[in-house]
Amino acid sequence: MKRLITPAFILAVALLVLAELVARTFFARDFSGRFEYGFDSEAGFAERADGKVELFRAGGRRFRPQTFARKRPDGIFRIFVLGDSVPRGPSSHGAYAWCLGQELEGLGVRAQSLNLAVAGFGVRRCQIVLRKILAYDPSLIILHVDNNEYADDREYRRSQEFKSWHPRHWPMKVYIFRRLYELNLEKLFWMLVPEPIRARFAVSDADAQIAASLDADKIKEWQARIKATTAESVALARRHRVPVLLLTQCRLDPDFPGGLNDNGLDAMAESLTGPGVYHLSMRETLLGAGNFRAYFRDLSGHLKENGHRLLAQAILEILRKQYASLGLAALKEAEPPGAARPESSMTAGKPPAAAAGSPPETQSGEVGLRSFASPAPAPGAPPGRRPDTPE
Amino acid sequence: MSFISWHYLIFLPLIIILYWQLPHKGRLLLLLAGSYFFYGCWDVRFLALVLATTCIDYVSGLSVGGQRTGPGRVLLLAWLPAAWISGCYLALPHYGIPLAVPAVAVGLGLAFFALHEAIWRLSPESGRPRFFLILSIVFCLAILGFFKYFGFFVDSAKSLLRLTGLNANWTTLQIILPVGISFYTFQSLGYVIDVYRRVSPACRSFLTFATFDAFFPQMVSGPIERGKSLIPQLQAERPFREIYVQDGLTMILVGFFKKVFVADNCAILASYVFDNRTPLNAYWAILGVVAFTFQIYGDFSGYTDIARGSAKLLGIDLMQNFRFPYVARNPSDFWGRWHISLSTWFRDYLYIPLGGNRGTRWETLRNLGIVMVLAGLWHGASWIFVLWGAYHGALLILYHFPPLRNLAPPKEDRFSWRWALAVPLMWGFTMVGWAIFRSPSLEHLGAWFAALGNWSGVGVLDWHSSLTWLLIHAVPLVLLQLLTWKYQDETGLEQVPWAARGVIYAVLVLLVVSSSQHDTEFIYFQF
Repeated sequence: MKRLITPAFILAVALLVLAELVARTFFARDFSGRFEYGFDSEAGFAERADGKVELFRAGGRRFRPQTFARKRPDGIFRIFVLGDSVPRGPSSHGAYAWCLGQELEGLGVRAQSLNLAVAGFGVRRCQIVLRKILAYDPSLIILHVDNNEYADDREYRRSQEFKSWHPRHWPMKVYIFRRLYELNLEKLFWMLVPEPIRARFAVSDADAQIAASLDADKIKEWQARIKATTAESVALARRHRVPVLLLTQCRLDPDFPGGLNDNGLDAMAESLTGPGVYHLSMRETLLGAGNFRAYFRDLSGHLKENGHRLLAQAILEILRKQYASLGLAALKEAEPPGAARPESSMTAGKPPAAAAGSPPETQSGEVGLRSFASPAPAPGAPPGRRPDTPE
Repeated sequence: MSFISWHYLIFLPLIIILYWQLPHKGRLLLLLAGSYFFYGCWDVRFLALVLATTCIDYVSGLSVGGQRTGPGRVLLLAWLPAAWISGCYLALPHYGIPLAVPAVAVGLGLAFFALHEAIWRLSPESGRPRFFLILSIVFCLAILGFFKYFGFFVDSAKSLLRLTGLNANWTTLQIILPVGISFYTFQSLGYVIDVYRRVSPACRSFLTFATFDAFFPQMVSGPIERGKSLIPQLQAERPFREIYVQDGLTMILVGFFKKVFVADNCAILASYVFDNRTPLNAYWAILGVVAFTFQIYGDFSGYTDIARGSAKLLGIDLMQNFRFPYVARNPSDFWGRWHISLSTWFRDYLYIPLGGNRGTRWETLRNLGIVMVLAGLWHGASWIFVLWGAYHGALLILYHFPPLRNLAPPKEDRFSWRWALAVPLMWGFTMVGWAIFRSPSLEHLGAWFAALGNWSGVGVLDWHSSLTWLLIHAVPLVLLQLLTWKYQDETGLEQVPWAARGVIYAVLVLLVVSSSQHDTEFIYFQF
């Protein structure tokens, strides 16, 4: 036995144990909710002692890094955008959440627009994020509704499988192994192997997804689930007296009238509108803009920055119309977007952020605390509740 | 059961722990049961073929050695495969085994029994060993030929008839290729030939012989062991020694590194390039073949290392199957380093019986050509493999003539200008061979060669980042080989200073686990 455990073996084990301890000490936060695959309510949120909430890129939920006060400061209009890779955008400042904040700022509204969208998130995982952010005094929640039920199903299955005793999961429960595996996957595989090669390599999952998306019963089941879960999310927000804007996704589809297919999401969202619940159709917005193909980055519905700016303008238009119910008196006086601002982002061909002196690429600092004048809350109204918000 | 599955990571320690607790006979029983379980995990039906090969060669081996087995025992053994497949027919109706299969198995068992008895009764004593050898070769090659080559020959005959204007509408049987059939058939045949040549005594114990034939570490992908080496090791009683665990685990770790980190990651690029849909230029063609060069070496030598390591944990030494093949100086040297157990099998049981290099130069070259074409065909029932074998045969033939012969560096692995010239040249020749081997069709092979003349980047993906991916996964293997080079053993880490070895172990574990989700099957299982 003495000769079985050689010095080399002891050294190897010691090095691995040391690496694991380092990983657990210094990278523990990155692992929060890692094995819940987005079905963890706390992953990616860190409530700091100074009263700030930090959104970070956790293994299980990859938020864009942002920081905001736990309690919404008086006079700030706080928007949370929830959804998948489409609202997440090509960059922090290329997403409509950021563009919208800039537009509001330009109109004199002290706004804080936070992007909590995560790639692949469907309505169920969005609802878990929604439940968490209701504690942070949102003024408006933009729920970007898309069909990601395949990914939600798959990730839920993974989260459940990972809890099982099965030995095949054991190595990945070791932090250092998991960390290296993810580094290999994200920093090497995704960055070095061209996309067409990866697509062929990952053919089994892609095939399963295509097969599922062609299954009429599956589509029916997903649509019913999207509607039920979205309705539940809307009701939840309304119980907290938070207005909701449902922004429904569409995709390029030459076989569909107009060339854009909303997969029935527009009708579903329309059926949910009511007091404090608004709907913006991405399809109608893009069709109205003309030459809609120029706004798309790819066939899976991702938008270029100009597409995000277009959506931000369309959202702003809704906010302008609903200024009273949203408590945005400043918007009453504001001119319609673009009308008196020929050098605005829409016409100047560069993002509003760039036009206004772009902040650094990452949004790790404080977001939103603008110095612009803004309407004070109505006397006696509790935080997060506007006087004209229906009960 | 695959070596890179979690099943094996449970199966192996269980077998090892039980093995060292049992008395000698119990150990053999455990190994045999474990080996059949290991093989049966792929397809339990094909255990009938393993049993058939085992029973035929056990009885033939004894008879070749002049030992008479009682008729009742011969009949019992001859019907053992039939009994197994009949059991599968009754117990596993979901496989849909046709009733004809057990019936044919019974008939073949009876035929073997009848021929065996006839040879004993009718043939003269002096010619008897030769007849039993022929009986064993005919039965074993018939099984191999039917399951591996039947479809190939029927399709080829159809194509030939079509070329002559005839249209053959035969219905071909959809035959599933049993895993590892070429390996265990050759191992078993080699034993009978060795008994015939009196190189090895006939094995009297059926338990020992069955374990030799089905020894799980090397059953499905080699090394193809010799009876004279493995059977005495199985027969010997040996106490547990710590060195078995140290060496065995090192070999397994190196094997996993070669397979999971090197081969599976290089396979991503090789699979892309050797795909009919992929547009190629010279950069991609070269990148793809270099990737496959590392993939097939990592895959196959990784399997061998895991096999040798698993056997070592049981106190059994399997032969070295690879010895730094990509530093071969010439075609002959390459085959002394690549798949050594197969190349020596063909040398000992085909090349030498054909005359070897004892005849005229023409006869020697003819023998080389025949052996290499058959070695190619051994790899798979496809004209691509025949072409690959013929290509290597041509290299070996050309090597017998100047100026290639004159370029031959000294036999020792010593640096010299001729060595520095010969090794890259042979590496280039080997890679061309791999392009043939990996091409899905002759058309694709033509396209691959055509791409070597196209240096334009139009219509193809950028290759720079893929080259980085390849280097990341190939360079660690090269470094490991440089480290073990002076010991002339690819897994020979035991002579490296302990501190360096500890770091290497830790790094190898991390590299293996970081790549562990890309697992794919071993290439050589299909052979």
